[in-house]
Amino acid sequence: MAALKDEEIISLAEAAVKYALKKGADEAEAFAYEGLTTTVAIERRQISKSSRIIDRGLGIRTVFKKAVGFSYTNILTDKAAIEEAVLKSLKSAKASRPDKEWQGFPCKKPLADVKNTFDKRICDLSSEELVKAASTMLEVAEKTDKRVFPVEGGIGASYLSKAIVNSNGVTSFDCGTLIECSLATVAQESGEVTPICFEFNLERIYKIDPEWVGAEAARQATSSLKARRVETKSMKVVFAHFALQQLLCYTLMEAIKADSVQRNQSALKGKIGEKVASDILTVYDDGLLEGGLRTWKFDGEGVPQQKTPIIRKGVLEGFVYDNYSARKEGKESTGNAFRAGYPSTPKVEVTNFHIAPGEKSPEELIGEIDEGLLVYSLQGAHSSNPASGEFSVVATPAWKIEKGRITHAVKGAMLAGNVFDAIKNVSELANNERKIWQLVAPWVLVENVKVIGK
Amino acid sequence: MLKDTLNKILDMAVQKFGAEYAEVRAQKLFKTMLTIKEEKVEAAKEGVENGAALRILVNGAWGFASVGSFDSETLVNAVSSACKMAKAASLKLKNPIKLVESKAIEDRVLAKPRKDPSKTPIEDKIGTTLAIAKTVLRHDSRIKSCTIDYLDLVGTSCFMNSEGTYIEQEKLYVWARIFVTAKEKDIFTFSREELGSTAGYEIFDVETPETVGERVAKRAVDQLRAKTPKGGTFPVVLGPNVVGVFVHEAFGHLAEADLTLSGSVLMDKLGRKVASEVVTIYDDGTVEGAFGSFKYDDEGVPAQKTLLIKDGVVVGLMHNRETAQKFNTQPTGNARAEDFRVEPIIRMRNTFMAPRDYSFEELIEDVKFGYYFKSFRGGQANLDGTFQVGVQEGYEIVKGEIGMPVRNASISGNTLETLHKVDAVGRDFELWPGRCGKGQTAFVCDGGPHIRVSEVLVGGGA
Repeated sequence: MAALKDEEIISLAEAAVKYALKKGADEAEAFAYEGLTTTVAIERRQISKSSRIIDRGLGIRTVFKKAVGFSYTNILTDKAAIEEAVLKSLKSAKASRPDKEWQGFPCKKPLADVKNTFDKRICDLSSEELVKAASTMLEVAEKTDKRVFPVEGGIGASYLSKAIVNSNGVTSFDCGTLIECSLATVAQESGEVTPICFEFNLERIYKIDPEWVGAEAARQATSSLKARRVETKSMKVVFAHFALQQLLCYTLMEAIKADSVQRNQSALKGKIGEKVASDILTVYDDGLLEGGLRTWKFDGEGVPQQKTPIIRKGVLEGFVYDNYSARKEGKESTGNAFRAGYPSTPKVEVTNFHIAPGEKSPEELIGEIDEGLLVYSLQGAHSSNPASGEFSVVATPAWKIEKGRITHAVKGAMLAGNVFDAIKNVSELANNERKIWQLVAPWVLVENVKVIGK
Repeated sequence: MLKDTLNKILDMAVQKFGAEYAEVRAQKLFKTMLTIKEEKVEAAKEGVENGAALRILVNGAWGFASVGSFDSETLVNAVSSACKMAKAASLKLKNPIKLVESKAIEDRVLAKPRKDPSKTPIEDKIGTTLAIAKTVLRHDSRIKSCTIDYLDLVGTSCFMNSEGTYIEQEKLYVWARIFVTAKEKDIFTFSREELGSTAGYEIFDVETPETVGERVAKRAVDQLRAKTPKGGTFPVVLGPNVVGVFVHEAFGHLAEADLTLSGSVLMDKLGRKVASEVVTIYDDGTVEGAFGSFKYDDEGVPAQKTLLIKDGVVVGLMHNRETAQKFNTQPTGNARAEDFRVEPIIRMRNTFMAPRDYSFEELIEDVKFGYYFKSFRGGQANLDGTFQVGVQEGYEIVKGEIGMPVRNASISGNTLETLHKVDAVGRDFELWPGRCGKGQTAFVCDGGPHIRVSEVLVGGGA
């Protein structure tokens, strides 16, 4: 089924806003969304499923006497259904309580320029082509080593489009593409099963390497065999990409949201201009990063996305804002209102949380470590304390580093500490930057992490 | 009329496209959501969504299509798309998928709430959630924030397959999550709690705003004076809430037959002893009003009480029709889909350890030094049986008595080794609602009695 045209999706949103104002809303904003996704799934060593999902909908926020109401519908073919959603939104606003700090929806601003966020080739991929790519990935993984068992994975291609219209003159449309190929494997040998080893490529343009994903997922699994326990002691830990994403997304990324700061949930509150991290750490929230997984012309409220400095050479420079949290402080939104989809209201989120890379290759980084761990993934990171930054997680898969070499896989090692200490203890950054959902970063070496082994 | 359309498209799948099996789920769902921050309503939200999911088996491979409409032309396109997808997927198939037989059922299941959330005015829901926030914020000046998310969902799900099953089921869920933070000097603590029911809005008659608010707030404040635990191996007593997440995360996922087949450590353990003989574990879809209960799963199979471990021996797994065929057994009614946008996969329902005979005092009296972990913060497990459970409320046990609170603790280990170390099981019992993520979200409960584990790795603070 063909995608809706730009004008069609914009006019849906415009009609909703117009109707809301007609029915007495003080302000109104409509978000129209369309997502078309084709996937081919691998399950237990074979491609056995394929799907096509079409999801469209409209979310409408209305304001009545400073109280905000919201409603959504996915029935877009029927004018009456959209009008009903508008009325429900208004009814919710009237039932709700006024918010004295409400200062309106954002105003119109020129949209940002973005690069490599849309690729027509992704829209045109047939399911047969996806099957072929998935099958290549699977074959490579299985050929690598017969102890490898591909558990699940696949290829998915999506086209997403969205429009935001509000009563302050914002009328914006953007569309983009995403393609993902992923594989999760385990290796099995004489009764031992490794933890899941996951690898993927996720890009905005058609530039994925299924062979590499297959080979790398298989390599990680086989090298996770014969895992041994480690001693309990503090040591150097290299957080590889996924582990870093897991560690930071429940802690540091929470702490830099204006909403967390304003509501006393952030340990970084009041620390702008202070040194909060190692000198070598520089971080931007970059909503315009070329080909970034969260790069769009505008955010969930129609505000242009931007590049916002967060930490420069260890010094805290700023937080990320949506329109509401920004106006509360008399500031401008940084374009960080995020929508999980049309059924929800926007909230503050990072876009592409970009940690500037260093100069050493990963091999050089490992080569200089006398004793430490290389950690690919963490289990239980979501149970971290977002306010204090405390974490207590399992490193898996992980490998021991001794005298500059990776010696063996490690099992059951827990890492405990505080993320705000950890960012002060960053001593090296590798040059192997990668995009992992909202994180763009290299491998990071942290000194003196408490490892609980046995 | 919808029934006729559904019938027509399933016929088309079988007759025109040669499908071995076809099913359709048509759903219309109404949701009310609230987000409360401190004593402020961020937004009051009401929405409607409808759509159809088609799942079709052609040449031994699955094709799936989801559309947000019941319009006949859209559904005809979707069925053709699903069949085309299945054929593409079958190109490289090694082992064709087969389904175990399942009895054709015709039924209509009505939700029977005492208080119907769809008839409860949104003003009342705002009032209830604000009352929770008020209780929390009045509890102590060190409480800094309170976030409450509320959701109720009502609607209808119609399931039809090409084997003669047609089930109309009313859905009803009421859920809330309260998240509270407290701060004193440089110490930040937080506490969270979830409520969930398939019975109705009457859940708030038992879990009143005051009860819930006090419980969550007190926990956040108590932690301010807590110390960080020592890292290392200790005996622990786990409360029903932590036992629940342990049973769910550490064991339950391994016993989901799709994950078992993927090489989980239970793969060759059916009929074997994997736990101490005091351990008995169920996954039960029939607990009345519980958050993980329903009458039929999303393959039209009746939910049941499934025994997973009996006196330490693995006796069953959780199945859908596909895995049941592979294991040559019966489906257990564990195939669940979050909504019409996704396909059914094997999910837990209400998962718990069965109680035995110890009192709480008996469980702790012999512990010289250890920990009592009462409430969890999160948990996760891996196919190799490595689990981690973060603890939001814990205490030291010193010489058989409950001592100082501890903060930021977690336990970890290997599931099977840990199940063998369960040396005493209490006689109390609680079920706690929660949400489980496996690519899609499922509403579940988990729980059990208090238990004692002779030793487990405790991850301490920095």
